[in-house]
Amino acid sequence: MTAPAMAINPNQTQPFLQQVMERSGQNLTACYQCRRCAAGCSVGDETDYFTPNLLIRMVVLGDRDQALSNQLVWKCVSCYTCGTRCPNDIQTARITETLKKMAKEEHLEPLQPKVAEFHDAFVRSGLRWGRVNEMEFMGAYEMKFALRKIKTREFGAIMDEIKTQARLGMEMTRLRRMHFGFLMAKGRKEIKALQRKSKQRATH
Amino acid sequence: MQLAYYPGCSLQQSSKLYDVQSRRIFSELGAELVEIEDWNCCGATSAGKVDDFMAMAMPARNIGIAEGAGFTEMVIPCSACYSRTLVAQQRIKDNAALAEEINSELAAPINGSLKVSSILEALEERIASGALKDRVVHKLTGLRPVCYYGCMLTRFPYAVPVPDDVENPQGMERVLGTLKIKTIDWNHKTSCCGASASVNDPETAHNLMAEIMKDAVARGANCVVTTCPMCQMNLDAQQEAFCLKHDIETRLPVFFITEIIGAAMDLPPAELQTDRHFIDGTTLLKELEQHEEKGK
Repeated sequence: MTAPAMAINPNQTQPFLQQVMERSGQNLTACYQCRRCAAGCSVGDETDYFTPNLLIRMVVLGDRDQALSNQLVWKCVSCYTCGTRCPNDIQTARITETLKKMAKEEHLEPLQPKVAEFHDAFVRSGLRWGRVNEMEFMGAYEMKFALRKIKTREFGAIMDEIKTQARLGMEMTRLRRMHFGFLMAKGRKEIKALQRKSKQRATH
Repeated sequence: MQLAYYPGCSLQQSSKLYDVQSRRIFSELGAELVEIEDWNCCGATSAGKVDDFMAMAMPARNIGIAEGAGFTEMVIPCSACYSRTLVAQQRIKDNAALAEEINSELAAPINGSLKVSSILEALEERIASGALKDRVVHKLTGLRPVCYYGCMLTRFPYAVPVPDDVENPQGMERVLGTLKIKTIDWNHKTSCCGASASVNDPETAHNLMAEIMKDAVARGANCVVTTCPMCQMNLDAQQEAFCLKHDIETRLPVFFITEIIGAAMDLPPAELQTDRHFIDGTTLLKELEQHEEKGK
């Protein structure tokens, strides 16, 4: 699974490690593999034994492909337990968040596409309207899922998804927990300006 | 007195009841929650996975608005909104260049004078003044809650001043203790419910929630109390599904802490929208009240 250390090209290794360290704000080289993060990981049973310490070592060794595409990066729920317990203050959840973004920039297919689609739809709704509209963003999210499944002709999966969401939606409506109005913030212009700035920063 | 109030998107939509309850409880305790003007989404936990700069900039605008209106404290009941806002505030404080970049685009720039409070911190201030104790009408004897904090109240992705014990927070226990409610100690108070995984990876979220539920049931709890709308929605709306999947027979109502305070204050459940739960909680509260009547 992991590339052997001897096969690592140091010239390629450094930029990836440096990138991850700078963007996540975490000092990955401080990790001495005590595995407290692994012991506390909320999704430890869900990641095929792919633990936070393993991810750190992988990035340090420069195994870019594996680091961007593994169950931990895509199953991590950002509960921040690993980082809270780390004796060296490495917040691995910030690393998984960083790797999610890097995978997207490299147009890699996420291991859990629904996770990426969800966060994209959520943030897009928040940025577009200034506030997140639950029905609108869930609609956008389900649409992305359906389009992807149409491509692979998995119509059963689309039906199952619709059934689950419709059931929840009906129950929420019955309990008056469904909101039918539309939320917006007038200050969207400020948010748009900040977003332009964010894009400029990314290209520099 | 007036406190700035940031409801966030959730409290305007699927968790409207939490908004209604929070405003009502604080007004009963002599503090008016004043919604800040034209606030925007905090970016929640999603923004950090999509755009780091916006994850700072979105809550920053809200902080600037509250400060510009002259507030010194802002209460944020939603745990995710609270966490994002607190982290953004601290990172901007620690990074002058970032502060300059964000402030230059804001109509109301940040000056750093605002205290960002979770609902528990704001409630604890009311305990200290004696306001909460004075308003208790019902004892709610027989209520056996486990206090569920989830992730966002004590664990942060950045070094902020953490308001409670990281591994064993006590804020909710102190609030309920003031109401003379005996809380049950348990192992999963800061476990993760899976958050948005209940939508995009339900298998994982259900496994996590089943563990939480099993411990609560094994300890003899008859309800869960929380302050996080995401945790509340997940444990409530998904309970039937994950309990069936994991052979758990018991069902537990999942209350916001404001509902329990409201019940102790004898505020009408209908007004607090306590009837809007997937797992019914009104029956339990009614039974406790009747039980108390008989005891008199």
